[in-house]
Amino acid sequence: MKILDRLKMLSEGVVIAFDSIRVNKVRAALTILGIAVGVFVVTGMSATVQGINSGVSASLAAAGPTTFFVTRWPAAINSCNGSADSCPWRHNEPLSLDDAHVILRQPGIQSVIVHVGSSAQVKYRGNNLPSARVDAYTADWTEVNGGDMAAGRNFTQGENTDASAVVVINVALRKQLFPDLENAQAIGKEIMIGANPFRVIGIWDQTGSLFDDADEPKATVPFEAAYRKLRFGIRWLDLTVKPRDGVPQDVAMDQAIAALRVRRQLKPAQDNTFFVSTPEKVMELYNDIVGKFFSFMIGLSAIGLMVGGVGVIAIMMISVTERTREIGVRKALGATRGTILWQFLVEAATLTMIGAVAGLVVGGALTYVIRANTSIKASIPPLAIVVALAAAALTGILFGLFPAYRAARLDPVEALRYE
Amino acid sequence: MTADVRDIPLSTTGELQAVVGNVGAVPGQDWVIVTRGITRDYDMGGEVVRALRGVDLAVRRNEYVAIMGPSGSGKSTLMNLVGCLDTPTSGENWLNGSLGSDMKDDALARVRNREIGFVFQTFNLLPRATALHNVELPLVYAGVGSAERKKRAVEALERVQLKDRMDHRPNELSGGQRQRVAIARALVKQPAILLADEPTGNLDSATSEEIMRVFEELAAAGQTVIMVTHESEIAAHARRVVVLRDGRISSDERREHFVKRLEK
Ligand SMILES: Nc1ncnc2c1ncn2[C@@H]1O[C@H](COP(=O)(O)OP(=O)(O)OP(=O)(O)O)[C@@H](O)[C@H]1O
Ligand SMILES: [Mg+2]
Repeated sequence: MKILDRLKMLSEGVVIAFDSIRVNKVRAALTILGIAVGVFVVTGMSATVQGINSGVSASLAAAGPTTFFVTRWPAAINSCNGSADSCPWRHNEPLSLDDAHVILRQPGIQSVIVHVGSSAQVKYRGNNLPSARVDAYTADWTEVNGGDMAAGRNFTQGENTDASAVVVINVALRKQLFPDLENAQAIGKEIMIGANPFRVIGIWDQTGSLFDDADEPKATVPFEAAYRKLRFGIRWLDLTVKPRDGVPQDVAMDQAIAALRVRRQLKPAQDNTFFVSTPEKVMELYNDIVGKFFSFMIGLSAIGLMVGGVGVIAIMMISVTERTREIGVRKALGATRGTILWQFLVEAATLTMIGAVAGLVVGGALTYVIRANTSIKASIPPLAIVVALAAAALTGILFGLFPAYRAARLDPVEALRYE
Repeated sequence: MTADVRDIPLSTTGELQAVVGNVGAVPGQDWVIVTRGITRDYDMGGEVVRALRGVDLAVRRNEYVAIMGPSGSGKSTLMNLVGCLDTPTSGENWLNGSLGSDMKDDALARVRNREIGFVFQTFNLLPRATALHNVELPLVYAGVGSAERKKRAVEALERVQLKDRMDHRPNELSGGQRQRVAIARALVKQPAILLADEPTGNLDSATSEEIMRVFEELAAAGQTVIMVTHESEIAAHARRVVVLRDGRISSDERREHFVKRLEK
C-alpha cells in the first residue's frame, strides 16, 4: 500500500482507538493518565523554568556585561541555621559607605552604586500604602536597573549628598497614589514616606524581572536621604560596581578586592570578609539548580510515560485478542502484515496522544495560573508541546509495537477459526 | 444418441486429467483453479492429522461448483488452500495463473485481494462498521480512492438489493441481509472466484433459498463460484458437485448426475 492510502486509513485507526477506549475504560484511563502525567510534568515544569529563565536573564542583562556585586553575604543560596559553622559570613563586618568610596577610588572603576532596601508607609492624601517597598540608592542606580524614566528625572549626585527629600516612584506606585493622574501630572506632588514629606521628581517605568516585580509599588530615594531622614539601617548594604569602559571585569574585581582587603587590614592568609560575585556566577548557580530540577522532572515524566506504556501494551494485547477474528477477516480481504501493523500502531499512538493532549491542557492551565498569580512569566515553549506530543506518540508506537506485531503475524486461517 | 455426456464422471474427462497431470506447467487461461496432488497435514503436537491426502481439482472460468462431504472430510481445508489463505504441505495450487503454493504471506494477501471474494458461514462482517464500509474494505486494501470506493461499494450493494441499508451496522440487519452484505463485499472487486464456505450454514431454509437465488444470478451472469456445503439440497443448486471423503475426492460429477444418484 502506498503512503497516501495508509494516511487514509489513519482516520479508521483513530476511530477504532476511541472504540477500544470505550470498551476498556479503566485500563484506558490508566494509560491516558500515565501519559498525561508525563506530558503535564514536561510542559508545566518547562513553562515555569522558561518563565524563571527569562526573568533571570532580564535581571542580569539590565546590570550590564562587566558589572559585579560586592556583598556581605555569599551569592549561593545556602541554609543558615544560626550556628557559626553554617554561616560564617554572619561575622563579616558590614559593608559601609567608606568601603564604597575606597572601591570607587580605584582606577578601573567607573561607579559604585550603594543600595539598601526597606519598606515604609507611603501616603498621598487619602491613598495610603502602610508598607511599600522603598529602595535607597546612590544616584547612578538607573544604570544597573532595567527600565526607563516615563516622566520627570532621576535625582542627581548633588541631591544625594544633600540628602534632598526627592523620590522616584515606579508606575505601579504612581497608580496607587495618583489613580486619576497621568505619569507627568504626578511630578512635583509631595508624598509622605513615614513622617517625612518627599517631592516626586520622576516616574520610573520599570522592566520587571523575576527578582523585581514591576507590579510591586516601589519608591526610590537618595541614599543619604534614606540614611539621615528615614533612619534606614545600613548594616545590609550591597554594592553594585561598574568598571570603566574597556576595563576587563577580572581586572576591576582584583582592584576592588585588593582595596577592601587593605582597608580591612586582612593578612595574606586570611579569607576575604566580604563576597564578590558576577552575574555569570549567579547564573551558574541558578543553572545548577535548574539542571537538577530538570533531571528530576524528566525522571518523573519518564515514569509517567512508562506507566502509560505498560497500559498501552495491556490494552493493545486485549484489543488484539478480542479482535482476532476481525484481523482474520481483514487478512482474508487482502490486508498485508504491514497494513495490520500500521492499523494497530495508529490505535496505540491515538491512545497515547489523547493522554498527551490531556496533559497539555492541564499543563497549560497550570501555566496560566502561575502567570496570573506570580511574577514568573510562565509560558509553554512551543518546542515543549512538540516534544510532548512526539514523546507520547513514540511511547504509543514503541509499546504498541509488540501487540501490533503479534496481530500482523496472525495466521489468517487460525484467526478466522478463533471463537 | 449414445450415453448422456452428463453421466460421465467429470474427473475422468481427458481434458481435465491433462491439465491436472501436467505438473509444474502454468495452466491455460481458461482454468481459474488447478490443484495438483495437494496435501495438508496439521501437526497436533506429535500426532499428524492428514486433512488432505492428495487432491487434484481443476475449475474452469464461469463454473459453479459445490464441494460436499461429511464433517472433517477436508472441505474447509481445501477451500482455504484454493483461496490462498493457506499453503499446502505438498503439491501445487494455481489461482488464475499464480502459484499460491510458492508464495509468502504478503504475496498471498495480494493475490487474495485481487482474485478472491470470500463468503463465510458466520458472515464475518466488522461489527462496528456500516454495511457500506464493510463492502469498501477490499477496495481500501487495494488502494482505491475514497470516491471510487464508495461508488463501487454502492453498486455492489445494489446487486444484492441492499442499497437502502448501506448505513446500517451488522447488528441492525437480519441474517440473510448480513450474508448479502458479505456477498456484496466479496463481489466488489469483481474477483476471479467467489468462494463460499457453508454460506447458508447459519440461515433458515427460506433465507438459504434467497441466498441461493443470489448465487444463481451471479453464476448466470458469468461469475465463477465455488461453494462448500454439506446439504445436498444446497449442493443441487450448483452445476458441478465434488464430494470429498477422508481428504480425497471421491466423486466429481455434473449436477444432473448427482441429482439422479441422489434420487436413487
Ligand atoms: N487448524 C487445524 N489444526 C489441526 N487440525 C485441523 C485444523 N483445521 C482442520 N483440522 C483437521 O483437519 C480435518 C479436516 O478439517 P476441515 O475443517 O477441513 O473439515 P470440513 O470438511 O470443513 O468439516 P466441517 O464440515 O465440519 O466444516 C479435520 O480432522 C480437522 O480436525
Ligand atoms: Mg468446514
